[in-house]
Amino acid sequence: MKKRALSIMIALAFVLVSFVGVHAASTVKIGFTYIMSGPFSAYGQFARQGAEMAIEEINAAGGINGQQVEGFFEDSTGKADVALRAIRKHVYQNKVDILIGLDSSGVAKTVVPSIEQMKTPLIITHAATPDVTGSVCNKYTFRISLNLAQNVKAASLLANETGAKKWTTVGPDYSFGHQSWEYFEKYLKQLNPQATFLPKDQVVFSPFKTTDFSSYITKVMNSKPDGVFISLWGGNLIDFVRQASSMGFFKQKYEVLFSLGAATEVLTALGDKMPEGLWVGTRYWFLANNSALNKKFVAAYFKKYGAYPSYNAHGAYSAVYAYKAAAEKAGSTDKMAIVNALEGLTIEIPTGVITFRKGDHQAVTDAHWGKTAADPNYPLRILKPIKIFKGKNVTPAISETGCSLGAAM
Amino acid sequence: MDFLLLNILNGLSWGMLLFLIAVGLTTVFGVLGVLNFAHGSLFMLGAYLCMQVMQYFDSFWLGLLLGPLCAVIIGVLVEKYLLKRVYNRDVSFQLLLTFAILLILDDGVRMIWGSGYHVVDPPELLAGIMTIAGQDYPVYRLFLIVIGPVIGGILWSFFHFTKWGKIIRAASFDNIMAEGVGINVPLIYTLVFALGTWLAALGGALAAPQQSLVPSMGEKIIIESFIVVVIGGMGSFPGAFVGALLLGLLGSFGTMFAGQLQMAIPYLLLAAVLLIKPNGLFKKGV
Repeated sequence: MKKRALSIMIALAFVLVSFVGVHAASTVKIGFTYIMSGPFSAYGQFARQGAEMAIEEINAAGGINGQQVEGFFEDSTGKADVALRAIRKHVYQNKVDILIGLDSSGVAKTVVPSIEQMKTPLIITHAATPDVTGSVCNKYTFRISLNLAQNVKAASLLANETGAKKWTTVGPDYSFGHQSWEYFEKYLKQLNPQATFLPKDQVVFSPFKTTDFSSYITKVMNSKPDGVFISLWGGNLIDFVRQASSMGFFKQKYEVLFSLGAATEVLTALGDKMPEGLWVGTRYWFLANNSALNKKFVAAYFKKYGAYPSYNAHGAYSAVYAYKAAAEKAGSTDKMAIVNALEGLTIEIPTGVITFRKGDHQAVTDAHWGKTAADPNYPLRILKPIKIFKGKNVTPAISETGCSLGAAM
Repeated sequence: MDFLLLNILNGLSWGMLLFLIAVGLTTVFGVLGVLNFAHGSLFMLGAYLCMQVMQYFDSFWLGLLLGPLCAVIIGVLVEKYLLKRVYNRDVSFQLLLTFAILLILDDGVRMIWGSGYHVVDPPELLAGIMTIAGQDYPVYRLFLIVIGPVIGGILWSFFHFTKWGKIIRAASFDNIMAEGVGINVPLIYTLVFALGTWLAALGGALAAPQQSLVPSMGEKIIIESFIVVVIGGMGSFPGAFVGALLLGLLGSFGTMFAGQLQMAIPYLLLAAVLLIKPNGLFKKGV
């Protein structure tokens, strides 16, 4: 009797396992890679929330081409080698159909060249370096979020309007900070040949781990610029803003532009300690678009998580929907079919209608800037007025990006 | 030349914070012989506990008082149940153990308070701004500059003029002899580790109004504290003070004048000191 029970149980276990196996084979798998630990993990958290919400919505509405969607999350820790391992795990172990994610530009630049060997499409949702849709672009890599060139182009248009002549910068000391300044210089010089830029040893690039910005702040104030372009983000940005406002930095006569100042991760933490009237940029602003889709997204997100969606939440959420659109257009989840379907795909996402350009796979998407303002209805500073720079006006021509996809075909 | 004064203040305020962390690290090393990798996590824990107390009582001063004391409880438990087991083992055991404690504390904090950014307000009394050399300067930074030497002075007097201080110094010179003359050395070890924990957590609570709270907030300060301790001489109290001042001031003036080279300054200083005085500035050669 006992033996029989055992054999029944074993048989049952086999049935269960094979059921799980069949079940797993019939899902669409998405591999997400974000910073889930360390000083920037708040960004990964938001991305995960956006991704999970999109998957839930899609599954409730019947999935992609009738298949349920399953998400896998890996921690990139913001380090290139760890991220690459995470991506390999997604592709070879989790056997995902598509990769979504990447926060740091440094990570993206290392990971993207090896995506080609893995023959799996990747949609970047945060990392902003122009190189991944430029000098190291490839057939499998797409980006749905605003890139550095687009954001900085908008910044330089704004900087030109202010009339400020002598510019300096405060940025993080790695490729993102240096490239932001390089592009800002290039674009503003084109718009206003009279603009001047402080030399390398007088501008500020602070190491990632900096927590005390006082001497950098004194240095910038002492250089007496007309305008300061700031590309700090995350905890660096919070620390800088708090210390700078207590040192009277924002009371000076110069213009201040924060290229990533309107991240809700940062604005929520700062609350009323974010000074009013500063120009801040972002990849997505939850109040910038009045479309039904955006309103629905913001309301659903707030209901689920009790917070306003940040640009990273928006990027991850939208990338899942972009994949869904591509899979439906292709009628399959075959990786090559998805790549072909994503090329030139036009889709409405909460921030607006975007198109993945055929030439470099960068989404042509609007850049949002605005002035920080207090509003009693929100616990964080909002943007008022909001300035929207149309995607086609801030996206550099493909010939300028240095990307040639033709060879990869 | 106004900015010179501002630079000195900037350097001093960072240096004094550094001193509080380094003095705890160096005292623990001097007495217990343990290089505590988790010291930076205790700094971070102090900041979070201060924030938590502030949420209950809405007072920074209570946070400053109770937060580090709560951290001390954790420190005592760590010493009694974990560190105690590795004193007589190879140094690598201590390094592995304290590193494990670091990971546990960091992830524990992440589990409780999440990985988002938190900010703590300075107390109203110190939230103001003073005009120094025609520029705004936060009063809180001046407070940091004052509190460092005050706590340092109290500690120094404690070590030199009280019975317990003398006992601790005796135990650090020769723990076997100390045990021989009837001193309860295990108790001394627990007390010293508690003191080190308190100093780290106090530093964290003091830093909280200045910097955003994230589980990794201790990383930068702990690296610089290690450099301070080595420069000043492992286990040396005045060494920690001078080392912290040097690093703080070189940091702020380096930012102003050395451009990108500024990042290398602490390491260059470290290398120079090790070449000239391998035992640090304030330690007599062995």
